[in-house]
Amino acid sequence: MRELYTSELEELESLLREEGQLVDRAIRAALNVLDRDDLELADELIAFDDEIDRRYLTIEQSIPSLLARQTPVAGELRLVLAILYINLHLERIGDYCVTVAKLAKLAHGLPRDRDVLEALEEMGERCREMLSTGLEYFYARDFTDSKALIEMDRPIDRANRKLIDRLIALGPEEPQREWAMRMMLASRCLERIGDHAVDIGEQAAYLVRGRFEEFTDASHKTPRATS
Amino acid sequence: MEAIRTRIELAGQGRSSTAGDREAVFEARDVSVFYGDQRAIDRVNIDIYQRLITAIIGPSGCGKSTFIRTLNRMTDLVPSARLTGELRYRGIDLYGPRVDAVEVRRRIGMVFQKPNPFPKSIYDNVAYGLRILGMKKDLDERVEKALRSAALWDEVKDRLKDSALGLSGGQQQRLCIARAIAVEPEVVLLDEPASALDPIATSAIEDLMHELKRDYTLVIVTHNMQQAARVADMTAFFGLEVSPDGNRQGVLVEYDETEKIFTNPSDKRTEGYVTGRFG
Repeated sequence: MRELYTSELEELESLLREEGQLVDRAIRAALNVLDRDDLELADELIAFDDEIDRRYLTIEQSIPSLLARQTPVAGELRLVLAILYINLHLERIGDYCVTVAKLAKLAHGLPRDRDVLEALEEMGERCREMLSTGLEYFYARDFTDSKALIEMDRPIDRANRKLIDRLIALGPEEPQREWAMRMMLASRCLERIGDHAVDIGEQAAYLVRGRFEEFTDASHKTPRATS
Repeated sequence: MEAIRTRIELAGQGRSSTAGDREAVFEARDVSVFYGDQRAIDRVNIDIYQRLITAIIGPSGCGKSTFIRTLNRMTDLVPSARLTGELRYRGIDLYGPRVDAVEVRRRIGMVFQKPNPFPKSIYDNVAYGLRILGMKKDLDERVEKALRSAALWDEVKDRLKDSALGLSGGQQQRLCIARAIAVEPEVVLLDEPASALDPIATSAIEDLMHELKRDYTLVIVTHNMQQAARVADMTAFFGLEVSPDGNRQGVLVEYDETEKIFTNPSDKRTEGYVTGRFG
Protein backbone atom coordinates (compact mmCIF):
# COMPACT_ATOMS: atom_id res chain seq x y z
CA MET A 1 0.00 0.00 0.00
CA ARG A 2 2.84 2.26 0.92
CA GLU A 3 4.35 1.90 -2.58
CA LEU A 4 1.08 2.73 -4.26
CA TYR A 5 0.74 5.80 -2.06
CA THR A 6 4.27 6.98 -2.84
CA SER A 7 3.73 6.53 -6.56
CA GLU A 8 0.47 8.47 -6.34
CA LEU A 9 2.28 11.37 -4.70
CA GLU A 10 5.00 11.25 -7.35
CA GLU A 11 2.38 11.17 -10.08
CA LEU A 12 0.70 14.27 -8.65
CA GLU A 13 3.97 16.11 -8.48
CA SER A 14 4.95 15.23 -12.03
CA LEU A 15 1.54 16.39 -13.28
CA LEU A 16 2.13 19.66 -11.44
CA ARG A 17 5.53 19.93 -13.13
CA GLU A 18 3.89 19.50 -16.53
CA GLU A 19 1.31 22.09 -15.64
CA GLY A 20 4.08 24.47 -14.58
CA GLN A 21 5.84 24.06 -17.92
CA LEU A 22 2.62 24.62 -19.85
CA VAL A 23 1.90 27.76 -17.83
CA ASP A 24 5.36 29.09 -18.59
CA ARG A 25 4.70 28.54 -22.31
CA ALA A 26 1.38 30.34 -21.92
CA ILE A 27 3.07 33.41 -20.43
CA ARG A 28 5.64 33.40 -23.24
CA ALA A 29 2.84 33.12 -25.80
CA ALA A 30 0.88 35.97 -24.18
CA LEU A 31 3.95 38.20 -24.47
CA ASN A 32 4.38 37.26 -28.13
CA VAL A 33 0.72 38.00 -28.82
CA LEU A 34 1.16 41.49 -27.36
CA ASP A 35 4.45 42.11 -29.09
CA ARG A 36 3.40 40.97 -32.57
CA ASP A 37 -0.32 41.78 -32.37
CA ASP A 38 -0.77 38.22 -33.58
CA LEU A 39 -4.47 37.24 -33.72
CA GLU A 40 -3.84 33.66 -34.73
CA LEU A 41 -1.48 33.08 -31.83
CA ALA A 42 -4.05 34.71 -29.51
CA ASP A 43 -6.64 32.12 -30.51
CA GLU A 44 -4.13 29.33 -30.09
CA LEU A 45 -3.28 30.55 -26.63
CA ILE A 46 -6.95 30.70 -25.65
CA ALA A 47 -7.39 27.09 -26.81
CA PHE A 48 -4.14 26.04 -25.14
CA ASP A 49 -5.66 26.85 -21.74
CA ASP A 50 -7.62 23.58 -22.01
CA GLU A 51 -4.30 21.72 -21.75
CA ILE A 52 -3.52 23.52 -18.50
CA ASP A 53 -7.03 22.98 -17.19
CA ARG A 54 -6.83 19.26 -17.89
CA ARG A 55 -3.80 18.91 -15.58
CA TYR A 56 -5.39 21.24 -13.08
CA LEU A 57 -8.58 19.19 -12.93
CA THR A 58 -6.79 15.85 -12.69
CA ILE A 59 -4.79 17.10 -9.70
CA GLU A 60 -7.81 18.81 -8.15
CA GLN A 61 -9.87 15.63 -8.39
CA SER A 62 -7.13 13.26 -7.24
CA ILE A 63 -6.49 15.04 -3.97
CA PRO A 64 -9.80 14.40 -2.14
CA SER A 65 -9.45 10.73 -2.98
CA LEU A 66 -5.85 10.64 -1.78
CA LEU A 67 -6.79 12.41 1.45
CA ALA A 68 -9.66 10.01 2.07
CA ARG A 69 -7.72 6.83 1.33
CA GLN A 70 -4.23 7.56 2.57
CA THR A 71 -4.77 10.26 5.24
CA PRO A 72 -1.36 11.84 4.68
CA VAL A 73 0.30 13.39 7.72
CA ALA A 74 3.43 15.40 8.55
CA GLY A 75 5.66 16.17 5.53
CA GLU A 76 3.36 14.25 3.19
CA LEU A 77 0.35 16.24 4.37
CA ARG A 78 2.23 19.46 3.72
CA LEU A 79 3.25 18.18 0.28
CA VAL A 80 -0.35 17.39 -0.68
CA LEU A 81 -1.56 20.77 0.56
CA ALA A 82 1.26 22.57 -1.27
CA ILE A 83 0.34 20.72 -4.50
CA LEU A 84 -3.31 21.63 -3.97
CA TYR A 85 -2.56 25.35 -3.66
CA ILE A 86 0.18 25.58 -6.27
CA ASN A 87 -2.17 23.84 -8.69
CA LEU A 88 -4.71 26.57 -8.08
CA HIS A 89 -2.14 29.33 -8.54
CA LEU A 90 -0.93 27.83 -11.83
CA GLU A 91 -4.46 27.58 -13.13
CA ARG A 92 -5.10 31.22 -12.25
CA ILE A 93 -1.91 32.27 -14.08
CA GLY A 94 -3.15 30.35 -17.10
CA ASP A 95 -6.41 32.29 -16.95
CA TYR A 96 -4.58 35.62 -16.83
CA CYS A 97 -2.71 34.61 -19.99
CA VAL A 98 -6.05 33.96 -21.67
CA THR A 99 -7.25 37.38 -20.55
CA VAL A 100 -4.15 38.98 -22.07
CA ALA A 101 -4.85 37.16 -25.34
CA LYS A 102 -8.43 38.41 -25.36
CA LEU A 103 -7.31 41.97 -24.60
CA ALA A 104 -4.82 41.76 -27.48
CA LYS A 105 -7.62 40.70 -29.80
CA LEU A 106 -9.76 43.63 -28.69
CA ALA A 107 -6.82 45.98 -29.20
CA HIS A 108 -6.04 44.62 -32.66
CA GLY A 109 -5.49 47.29 -35.29
CA LEU A 110 -5.38 50.19 -32.83
CA PRO A 111 -2.33 52.50 -32.77
CA ARG A 112 0.43 50.94 -30.64
CA ASP A 113 3.20 52.42 -28.55
CA ARG A 114 6.62 50.74 -28.61
CA ASP A 115 7.68 51.91 -25.12
CA VAL A 116 4.57 50.44 -23.56
CA LEU A 117 5.05 47.15 -25.37
CA GLU A 118 8.64 46.94 -24.21
CA ALA A 119 7.60 47.60 -20.64
CA LEU A 120 5.01 44.82 -20.87
CA GLU A 121 7.60 42.45 -22.32
CA GLU A 122 9.94 43.32 -19.46
CA MET A 123 7.22 42.68 -16.87
CA GLY A 124 6.30 39.37 -18.49
CA GLU A 125 9.88 38.14 -18.52
CA ARG A 126 10.23 38.99 -14.81
CA CYS A 127 7.04 37.02 -14.19
CA ARG A 128 8.48 33.98 -15.93
CA GLU A 129 11.62 34.23 -13.83
CA MET A 130 9.58 34.48 -10.66
CA LEU A 131 7.41 31.54 -11.58
CA SER A 132 10.40 29.34 -12.34
CA THR A 133 12.09 30.43 -9.10
CA GLY A 134 8.97 29.70 -7.01
CA LEU A 135 8.51 26.31 -8.64
CA GLU A 136 12.21 25.50 -8.30
CA TYR A 137 12.01 26.12 -4.56
CA PHE A 138 9.17 23.63 -4.46
CA TYR A 139 10.78 20.93 -6.61
CA ALA A 140 14.10 21.15 -4.80
CA ARG A 141 12.47 21.35 -1.33
CA ASP A 142 15.07 23.98 -0.81
CA PHE A 143 14.30 27.24 0.72
CA THR A 144 17.08 29.55 1.56
CA ASP A 145 16.08 32.87 0.12
CA SER A 146 12.55 34.21 0.30
CA LYS A 147 13.88 37.69 -0.44
CA ALA A 148 14.82 36.74 -4.00
CA LEU A 149 11.18 36.40 -4.99
CA ILE A 150 10.14 39.64 -3.32
CA GLU A 151 13.07 41.42 -4.97
CA MET A 152 11.95 40.13 -8.36
CA ASP A 153 8.41 41.32 -7.71
CA ARG A 154 9.49 44.93 -7.07
CA PRO A 155 10.57 45.78 -10.67
CA ILE A 156 7.23 44.41 -11.84
CA ASP A 157 5.33 46.74 -9.56
CA ARG A 158 7.59 49.59 -10.60
CA ALA A 159 7.18 48.85 -14.31
CA ASN A 160 3.43 48.63 -13.82
CA ARG A 161 3.34 52.12 -12.32
CA LYS A 162 5.62 53.59 -14.98
CA LEU A 163 3.52 52.01 -17.66
CA ILE A 164 0.41 53.68 -16.34
CA ASP A 165 2.11 57.10 -16.49
CA ARG A 166 3.17 56.40 -20.07
CA LEU A 167 -0.32 55.25 -21.03
CA ILE A 168 -1.93 58.38 -19.58
CA ALA A 169 0.49 60.47 -21.62
CA LEU A 170 -0.42 58.73 -24.88
CA GLY A 171 -2.88 61.36 -25.98
CA PRO A 172 -6.55 62.22 -26.16
CA GLU A 173 -7.54 60.42 -29.38
CA GLU A 174 -10.13 57.70 -28.86
CA PRO A 175 -8.23 54.81 -30.56
CA GLN A 176 -5.18 55.61 -28.44
CA ARG A 177 -7.28 55.80 -25.30
CA GLU A 178 -8.89 52.46 -26.08
CA TRP A 179 -5.55 50.78 -26.71
CA ALA A 180 -4.18 52.30 -23.51
CA MET A 181 -7.06 50.91 -21.47
CA ARG A 182 -6.63 47.43 -22.92
CA MET A 183 -2.89 47.53 -22.22
CA MET A 184 -3.50 48.76 -18.70
CA LEU A 185 -5.60 45.68 -18.04
CA ALA A 186 -2.94 43.47 -19.64
CA SER A 187 -0.37 45.04 -17.35
CA ARG A 188 -2.60 44.34 -14.37
CA CYS A 189 -2.80 40.67 -15.46
CA LEU A 190 0.99 40.41 -15.57
CA GLU A 191 1.28 42.04 -12.18
CA ARG A 192 -1.17 39.49 -10.76
CA ILE A 193 0.86 36.65 -12.32
CA GLY A 194 3.84 37.92 -10.33
CA ASP A 195 1.76 37.84 -7.15
CA HIS A 196 0.74 34.23 -7.79
CA ALA A 197 4.40 33.32 -8.33
CA VAL A 198 5.21 34.78 -4.90
CA ASP A 199 2.37 32.70 -3.43
CA ILE A 200 3.84 29.58 -5.03
CA GLY A 201 7.12 30.41 -3.29
CA GLU A 202 5.20 30.71 -0.01
CA GLN A 203 3.81 27.23 -0.50
CA ALA A 204 7.31 25.90 -1.08
CA ALA A 205 8.39 27.59 2.16
CA TYR A 206 5.47 25.98 3.98
CA LEU A 207 6.44 22.58 2.65
CA VAL A 208 10.04 22.95 3.75
CA ARG A 209 9.66 24.82 7.03
CA GLY A 210 6.33 23.49 8.25
CA ARG A 211 4.88 26.89 8.97
CA PHE A 212 3.11 29.29 6.73
CA GLU A 213 4.78 32.57 6.00
CA GLU A 214 3.44 35.42 3.96
CA PHE A 215 6.31 37.07 2.08
CA THR A 216 4.38 40.15 1.15
CA ASP A 217 0.94 41.33 1.96
CA ALA A 218 -0.96 44.27 0.50
CA SER A 219 -1.97 45.39 4.00
CA HIS A 220 1.40 44.83 5.74
CA LYS A 221 4.78 46.13 4.72
CA THR A 222 6.95 43.50 6.38
CA PRO A 223 6.66 39.72 6.00
CA ARG A 224 4.50 38.02 8.59
CA ALA A 225 4.75 34.50 9.92
CA THR A 226 1.99 32.44 11.46
CA SER A 227 2.73 29.13 13.07
CA MET B 1 -13.58 45.86 12.49
CA GLU B 2 -13.34 45.55 16.25
CA ALA B 3 -15.34 42.34 16.23
CA ILE B 4 -13.18 40.87 13.49
CA ARG B 5 -9.99 41.77 15.31
CA THR B 6 -11.27 40.23 18.54
CA ARG B 7 -12.15 37.02 16.73
CA ILE B 8 -8.73 36.78 15.16
CA GLU B 9 -7.02 37.34 18.50
CA LEU B 10 -9.19 34.72 20.15
CA ALA B 11 -8.39 32.21 17.46
CA GLY B 12 -4.71 32.86 18.00
CA GLN B 13 -4.97 32.33 21.73
CA GLY B 14 -6.92 29.11 21.43
CA ARG B 15 -4.17 27.53 19.43
CA SER B 16 -1.29 28.17 21.74
CA SER B 17 -2.94 27.28 25.05
CA THR B 18 -2.78 23.49 24.81
CA ALA B 19 -0.19 22.87 27.47
CA GLY B 20 1.01 26.39 28.18
CA ASP B 21 -0.38 27.14 31.63
CA ARG B 22 -1.48 23.62 32.56
CA GLU B 23 -0.41 21.90 35.69
CA ALA B 24 1.71 18.78 35.24
CA VAL B 25 0.07 15.76 36.89
CA PHE B 26 2.96 13.41 36.19
CA GLU B 27 6.60 14.36 35.95
CA ALA B 28 8.88 11.57 34.77
CA ARG B 29 12.60 12.18 35.18
CA ASP B 30 15.03 9.69 33.65
CA VAL B 31 12.56 6.87 34.15
CA SER B 32 13.93 3.50 33.03
CA VAL B 33 12.18 0.18 33.50
CA PHE B 34 13.96 -3.16 33.56
CA TYR B 35 12.55 -6.67 33.29
CA GLY B 36 15.35 -8.61 34.90
CA ASP B 37 18.50 -7.49 33.05
CA GLN B 38 16.56 -6.37 30.02
CA ARG B 39 15.98 -2.61 29.82
CA ALA B 40 12.47 -2.02 28.41
CA ILE B 41 12.46 1.78 28.43
CA ASP B 42 15.42 4.06 28.75
CA ARG B 43 15.48 7.39 30.62
CA VAL B 44 12.10 8.82 29.77
CA ASN B 45 11.50 12.47 30.63
CA ILE B 46 7.98 13.74 30.21
CA ASP B 47 5.39 15.96 31.88
CA ILE B 48 1.78 14.88 31.54
CA TYR B 49 -0.73 17.69 31.95
CA GLN B 50 -3.97 17.95 33.82
CA ARG B 51 -7.28 17.51 31.99
CA LEU B 52 -5.73 16.89 28.64
CA ILE B 53 -5.69 13.72 26.60
CA THR B 54 -2.13 12.54 26.09
CA ALA B 55 -1.56 9.83 23.51
CA ILE B 56 1.42 7.52 23.49
CA ILE B 57 2.22 6.10 20.08
CA GLY B 58 5.04 4.01 18.71
CA PRO B 59 5.90 0.68 17.10
CA SER B 60 5.42 -2.68 18.84
CA GLY B 61 7.97 -3.27 21.56
CA CYS B 62 8.80 0.39 22.07
CA GLY B 63 7.71 0.23 25.70
CA LYS B 64 4.59 2.37 25.47
CA SER B 65 2.47 -0.11 27.46
CA THR B 66 5.31 -0.55 29.92
CA PHE B 67 5.45 3.18 30.38
CA ILE B 68 1.71 3.69 30.91
CA ARG B 69 1.76 0.86 33.47
CA THR B 70 4.42 2.63 35.51
CA LEU B 71 1.98 5.53 35.94
CA ASN B 72 -0.23 3.58 38.36
CA ARG B 73 2.39 1.11 39.57
CA MET B 74 0.98 -1.79 37.59
CA THR B 75 4.59 -2.73 36.88
CA ASP B 76 4.78 -3.68 40.59
CA LEU B 77 2.73 -6.72 39.68
CA VAL B 78 5.54 -8.07 37.49
CA PRO B 79 8.04 -9.63 39.94
CA SER B 80 11.12 -9.04 37.79
CA ALA B 81 10.27 -5.43 36.95
CA ARG B 82 12.31 -2.60 38.40
CA LEU B 83 12.12 1.14 37.89
CA THR B 84 14.90 3.68 38.15
CA GLY B 85 14.72 7.44 37.93
CA GLU B 86 11.95 9.48 39.43
CA LEU B 87 8.24 9.50 38.71
CA ARG B 88 6.28 12.17 40.54
CA TYR B 89 2.52 12.34 40.71
CA ARG B 90 1.34 15.76 41.85
CA GLY B 91 4.79 16.36 43.24
CA ILE B 92 4.89 13.13 45.25
CA ASP B 93 7.37 10.38 44.39
CA LEU B 94 5.03 7.66 43.15
CA TYR B 95 7.52 4.93 44.03
CA GLY B 96 8.38 6.43 47.44
CA PRO B 97 8.39 4.13 50.49
CA ARG B 98 5.22 5.50 52.11
CA VAL B 99 3.06 5.42 48.99
CA ASP B 100 0.26 2.85 49.05
CA ALA B 101 -0.08 1.14 45.67
CA VAL B 102 -3.80 0.49 46.24
CA GLU B 103 -4.44 4.18 46.84
CA VAL B 104 -2.39 4.96 43.73
CA ARG B 105 -4.63 2.72 41.64
CA ARG B 106 -7.79 4.30 43.08
CA ARG B 107 -6.59 7.73 42.03
CA ILE B 108 -5.17 6.50 38.75
CA GLY B 109 -7.57 4.08 37.08
CA MET B 110 -6.85 1.87 34.13
CA VAL B 111 -8.76 0.43 31.19
CA PHE B 112 -7.26 -2.38 29.13
CA GLN B 113 -7.27 -3.43 25.50
CA LYS B 114 -9.66 -6.34 25.95
CA PRO B 115 -12.80 -5.44 27.86
CA ASN B 116 -12.58 -7.46 31.08
CA PRO B 117 -15.82 -7.13 33.02
CA PHE B 118 -16.25 -9.37 36.06
CA PRO B 119 -18.69 -12.26 35.55
CA LYS B 120 -21.23 -10.35 37.60
CA SER B 121 -24.18 -8.09 36.95
CA ILE B 122 -23.73 -4.75 35.23
CA TYR B 123 -24.55 -3.02 38.52
CA ASP B 124 -22.09 -5.08 40.56
CA ASN B 125 -19.28 -4.45 38.10
CA VAL B 126 -19.53 -0.73 38.75
CA ALA B 127 -20.25 -1.12 42.49
CA TYR B 128 -17.39 -3.56 43.08
CA GLY B 129 -14.59 -1.05 43.56
CA LEU B 130 -16.86 1.27 45.53
CA ARG B 131 -17.70 -1.49 48.02
CA ILE B 132 -14.07 -2.57 48.40
CA LEU B 133 -12.99 0.99 49.05
CA GLY B 134 -15.82 1.50 51.52
CA MET B 135 -17.55 4.10 49.34
CA LYS B 136 -20.92 2.54 50.06
CA LYS B 137 -22.91 5.68 50.78
CA ASP B 138 -25.32 6.54 47.97
CA LEU B 139 -24.19 3.47 46.09
CA ASP B 140 -27.08 3.57 43.57
CA GLU B 141 -26.39 7.21 42.78
CA ARG B 142 -22.69 6.57 42.34
CA VAL B 143 -23.33 3.64 40.01
CA GLU B 144 -25.79 5.66 37.94
CA LYS B 145 -23.41 8.62 37.77
CA ALA B 146 -20.53 6.43 36.59
CA LEU B 147 -22.69 4.73 33.96
CA ARG B 148 -23.97 8.11 32.76
CA SER B 149 -20.44 9.49 32.55
CA ALA B 150 -19.45 6.45 30.52
CA ALA B 151 -22.38 7.11 28.13
CA LEU B 152 -23.84 3.70 28.92
CA TRP B 153 -26.72 4.48 31.28
CA ASP B 154 -29.46 4.77 28.67
CA GLU B 155 -28.51 1.43 27.17
CA VAL B 156 -28.42 -0.53 30.43
CA LYS B 157 -30.67 1.24 32.94
CA ASP B 158 -33.46 -1.34 32.53
CA ARG B 159 -31.20 -4.35 32.93
CA LEU B 160 -28.73 -3.49 35.64
CA LYS B 161 -29.12 -6.95 37.19
CA ASP B 162 -28.24 -8.72 33.91
CA SER B 163 -24.81 -10.24 33.47
CA ALA B 164 -22.21 -7.84 32.12
CA LEU B 165 -21.01 -10.62 29.84
CA GLY B 166 -24.18 -10.24 27.78
CA LEU B 167 -23.17 -6.76 26.64
CA SER B 168 -21.52 -6.10 23.28
CA GLY B 169 -17.75 -5.55 23.16
CA GLY B 170 -18.15 -1.78 22.89
CA GLN B 171 -20.62 -1.72 25.79
CA GLN B 172 -18.32 -3.91 27.87
CA GLN B 173 -15.48 -1.47 27.28
CA ARG B 174 -17.63 1.48 28.32
CA LEU B 175 -18.63 -0.55 31.39
CA CYS B 176 -14.94 -0.97 32.23
CA ILE B 177 -14.54 2.80 31.87
CA ALA B 178 -17.58 3.28 34.18
CA ARG B 179 -15.98 0.88 36.64
CA ALA B 180 -12.72 2.84 36.49
CA ILE B 181 -14.35 6.23 37.02
CA ALA B 182 -16.86 5.09 39.69
CA VAL B 183 -14.19 5.34 42.37
CA GLU B 184 -13.58 8.96 41.39
CA PRO B 185 -10.02 8.78 40.15
CA GLU B 186 -8.11 11.80 38.93
CA VAL B 187 -6.44 10.05 36.04
CA VAL B 188 -7.66 7.34 33.69
CA LEU B 189 -5.07 5.33 31.78
CA LEU B 190 -6.29 3.58 28.66
CA ASP B 191 -4.15 0.90 27.08
CA GLU B 192 -5.38 0.35 23.51
CA PRO B 193 -8.99 0.79 24.67
CA ALA B 194 -10.56 0.54 21.23
CA SER B 195 -8.32 -1.83 19.31
CA ALA B 196 -10.73 -4.75 19.80
CA LEU B 197 -13.77 -2.70 18.79
CA ASP B 198 -15.53 -1.94 15.52
CA PRO B 199 -15.48 1.62 14.14
CA ILE B 200 -18.86 2.58 15.64
CA ALA B 201 -17.92 1.38 19.13
CA THR B 202 -14.51 3.01 18.67
CA SER B 203 -16.14 6.29 17.81
CA ALA B 204 -18.33 6.02 20.95
CA ILE B 205 -15.21 5.50 23.09
CA GLU B 206 -13.48 8.46 21.45
CA ASP B 207 -16.50 10.72 22.05
CA LEU B 208 -16.55 9.52 25.61
CA MET B 209 -12.87 10.38 26.08
CA HIS B 210 -13.59 13.85 24.82
CA GLU B 211 -16.36 14.21 27.42
CA LEU B 212 -14.25 12.75 30.21
CA LYS B 213 -11.38 15.16 29.79
CA ARG B 214 -13.49 17.88 31.39
CA ASP B 215 -13.04 16.08 34.71
CA TYR B 216 -10.14 13.70 34.25
CA THR B 217 -6.62 13.55 32.97
CA LEU B 218 -6.46 10.86 30.30
CA VAL B 219 -3.48 8.97 28.96
CA ILE B 220 -4.05 6.61 26.04
CA VAL B 221 -1.75 4.11 24.41
CA THR B 222 -2.79 3.47 20.85
CA HIS B 223 -1.56 1.71 17.74
CA ASN B 224 -4.01 3.66 15.69
CA MET B 225 -2.37 6.91 14.71
CA GLN B 226 -5.52 8.46 13.36
CA GLN B 227 -7.07 7.81 16.74
CA ALA B 228 -4.24 9.69 18.44
CA ALA B 229 -4.64 12.49 15.90
CA ARG B 230 -8.39 12.62 16.53
CA VAL B 231 -8.54 12.49 20.30
CA ALA B 232 -5.26 13.62 21.83
CA ASP B 233 -4.15 17.13 22.78
CA MET B 234 -0.57 16.03 23.32
CA THR B 235 1.20 13.13 21.65
CA ALA B 236 4.33 11.31 22.78
CA PHE B 237 6.15 9.20 20.22
CA PHE B 238 8.18 6.30 21.61
CA GLY B 239 10.74 4.69 19.35
CA LEU B 240 12.78 1.55 19.49
CA GLU B 241 16.51 1.84 19.92
CA VAL B 242 19.19 -0.84 19.93
CA SER B 243 21.92 -0.01 22.43
CA PRO B 244 25.59 -0.94 21.82
CA ASP B 245 25.18 -4.05 24.01
CA GLY B 246 22.38 -5.28 21.75
CA ASN B 247 19.58 -4.41 24.15
CA ARG B 248 16.37 -3.29 22.42
CA GLN B 249 14.79 -0.52 24.41
CA GLY B 250 12.07 2.07 24.10
CA VAL B 251 12.94 5.76 24.18
CA LEU B 252 10.80 8.87 24.09
CA VAL B 253 11.67 10.41 20.73
CA GLU B 254 9.35 13.37 20.59
CA TYR B 255 6.61 14.89 22.70
CA ASP B 256 4.55 17.83 21.52
CA GLU B 257 1.12 19.12 20.71
CA THR B 258 -0.71 16.56 18.58
CA GLU B 259 -1.19 19.05 15.76
CA LYS B 260 2.55 19.60 15.61
CA ILE B 261 3.33 15.87 15.63
CA PHE B 262 1.00 15.25 12.71
CA THR B 263 1.77 18.32 10.59
CA ASN B 264 5.38 19.15 11.30
CA PRO B 265 7.21 16.74 13.61
CA SER B 266 10.69 17.82 14.64
CA ASP B 267 12.33 14.42 14.57
CA LYS B 268 12.88 12.38 11.40
CA ARG B 269 11.99 9.20 13.27
CA THR B 270 8.59 10.60 14.22
CA GLU B 271 8.01 11.69 10.64
CA GLY B 272 8.90 8.21 9.43
CA TYR B 273 6.55 6.55 11.86
CA VAL B 274 3.49 8.79 11.50
CA THR B 275 3.69 8.73 7.71
CA GLY B 276 4.08 4.96 7.73
CA ARG B 277 7.43 5.01 5.95
CA PHE B 278 8.90 2.78 8.63
CA GLY B 279 8.38 1.63 12.21
